[in-house]
Amino acid sequence: MSDDAADVQRVLAGDVDAYAALVDRYYDRCARFAIRMLGNRDDAEDALQATFLRAYKALNRYQERDRFSAWLYRILVNQCRSIAARRAHRDKVFVREEALLLNAPDRAVVWTGEDEEFVQRVLSELDPLLREAFLLKYIEELSYEEMSALTGVGVSALKMRVKRACDRLRERWERIKND
Amino acid sequence: MTDSERHPYVELIAREARRPVQTDPAARARIMTAVRAEALPRSRSSIWERVIAPRSWTLSPMAGSLLAAGLVGIGVLAGALTANRGGRPSVDRATLGAVRPPVSDTIVKFVIVAPNAGKVSLVGDFNDWDETRSPMLRAEKDGLWSVTMPLSAGRHLYAYVVDGAWRTDPSAPVIDDGFGHRNSVKLVAKGSTL
Repeated sequence: MSDDAADVQRVLAGDVDAYAALVDRYYDRCARFAIRMLGNRDDAEDALQATFLRAYKALNRYQERDRFSAWLYRILVNQCRSIAARRAHRDKVFVREEALLLNAPDRAVVWTGEDEEFVQRVLSELDPLLREAFLLKYIEELSYEEMSALTGVGVSALKMRVKRACDRLRERWERIKND
Repeated sequence: MTDSERHPYVELIAREARRPVQTDPAARARIMTAVRAEALPRSRSSIWERVIAPRSWTLSPMAGSLLAAGLVGIGVLAGALTANRGGRPSVDRATLGAVRPPVSDTIVKFVIVAPNAGKVSLVGDFNDWDETRSPMLRAEKDGLWSVTMPLSAGRHLYAYVVDGAWRTDPSAPVIDDGFGHRNSVKLVAKGSTL
C-alpha cells in the first residue's frame, strides 16, 4: 500500500491528523500549479483551500483505482477553472476601473521585472485553456494520457492546445526581438 | 514535438515556471482548521458493512405478538395477490409499495458495444461502485456486452468499466460528479424497462 493509500485509510478510520500528511505532501506542488494558473496568490490560496477541503469531504468516494495525486489534481484543476471563470467576470469590472485610473494624471506604473512576476505575466497572456494544457505538460510534466484522464479532454485536442500555447509564446518572443 | 515546443524561449518560460513557489505555512494551518471543523468522512465499506452486519434483536412478549400479527397480515396479502395473478390485482402498486420494502423492483438491461474488450462490468450507486459485482456478458457475435439489474424507481448514476477503464454510456445523459469524473444517468420508472 502506498503512503497515500495508507494515509487515506487512516483518515477514513478516524485519524484526522493523517490528512495533514497528505496536505503537506501535495500542498507545494498544487500551489505552484494554482499560482501559475490563476496568476495571483489570493486566488490560488482560495483554490487550494477549496481543493483540500473538498477532497477531504469526498475521501470516501476516492477509489484506489486512481492515484491519489491524480484524483487530487482533478479537483484542483476544476477549482482553478471555477475561480478563473468567476474572476473573468470580476476582471471585466476591474478593466473598466483600471482604464479610468490609467487616464488619471498621477498614475504610477509598477513593474519590478523580477522573474516571478515576469513568468506570471507571460503565462497570463495565454488563453486559460492553453495555459492549463501548457502547465500540465511542461510544468507538471504529465503524459498526454494522464492529462486526458485529468481534464476529460481528448489527447489530440490537448496536443493542439500545447502546440498553440507554444506558438503564442514563440510569437511573443518574435515581437520582443523585433521591438 | 513541434518547432515551437523546442524553441529556447518556450524552454525558458517552462524552466522559470517549474521553479518551486514560496508558500505560506499559515495557509496549510487554515486548511487543517477547516478540515477539523468538518465531519469525518466515512468509508463506503464501513457503511455497507453496517447495513449487512448480522445483529441480534430482543423483543418483548408484546412486541413479538405484534410482529407475528404483522407477518400473518403480509402473508394474507401475498396470498391474495397470488390468487389474483391471472386477473386484475386487487391491491394497487401504492398499497403494494407500503407492504414491500423499497427494494429494486424494475429490471433494467444495460448494454454497451465494446467489440475489442476482454472484460466489461457495470458499476453504479446500486452496487456500491464495485467493479466485481456486476460483470457483463458478451454476446457471441456483435461485440455487445449486457447485464440486467433490478433497480428501484428513481435516478441512478452508473458507468461501465471496460478493461479497467471507466467509461460513460454513449447512449445516456451524463453528469459531472464535481470531482472530474462523469457518470451516466438512468431514470427508472416503475415497470420493466427491458
